Amino acid sequence: MTVLAAVLVVAGALLLVLAAWGVVVLPDALSRQHAATKAGTLALALVCFGAMLLAQDGGWTWRLALILGFLLATLPVASHLLARAAVREAGHESDLANAPVVGRDPHGR
Amino acid sequence: MTNLAILLLVAGAVVATALATLRMVQGPRHADRIVALDIFLAAAIALCIGASLATGRTVFLDVAIGLALVGFVATVGWARLVDKGGRT
Repeated sequence: MTVLAAVLVVAGALLLVLAAWGVVVLPDALSRQHAATKAGTLALALVCFGAMLLAQDGGWTWRLALILGFLLATLPVASHLLARAAVREAGHESDLANAPVVGRDPHGR
Repeated sequence: MTNLAILLLVAGAVVATALATLRMVQGPRHADRIVALDIFLAAAIALCIGASLATGRTVFLDVAIGLALVGFVATVGWARLVDKGGRT
């Protein structure tokens, strides 16, 4: 069990490095946002599950589950607004500016 | 075994922070810097869990709960500012 927990924690650490590497290497803000939010969330989920298995204690388990729940609830919201901002900031230089998925904000510009 | 895993977790978080710092400095746009902020948040939570595992205390997990709860506010605020086309 300890081996499985250690493997999960190390896999999470590697995935976190991979997410940061993607943020450095990928070409534009929209693709960087995909690397950061998706891989980052999965990395933290792996670390949380690994820590649960390492500790095997009720107090640890509900705290880690709470961390994971808050992350899964809040990170998609941040990711969505970030993607909107990235597309909007690219502006007329990008084909994405007229993409139907973005739409026009009636209260915006 | 456990100690090695914790060491690798801390090392991974440090490397991720270094790479995100590179992106934060380089830019070139504000959206890129917000993405780097997201990586900072993930690395901070990973470091909290690592500290908690290393010391065997749950107080660091409470810090991580707070970070997970409010950490996205900065991202949302900055993204809204860019979205509204404010003078950034």
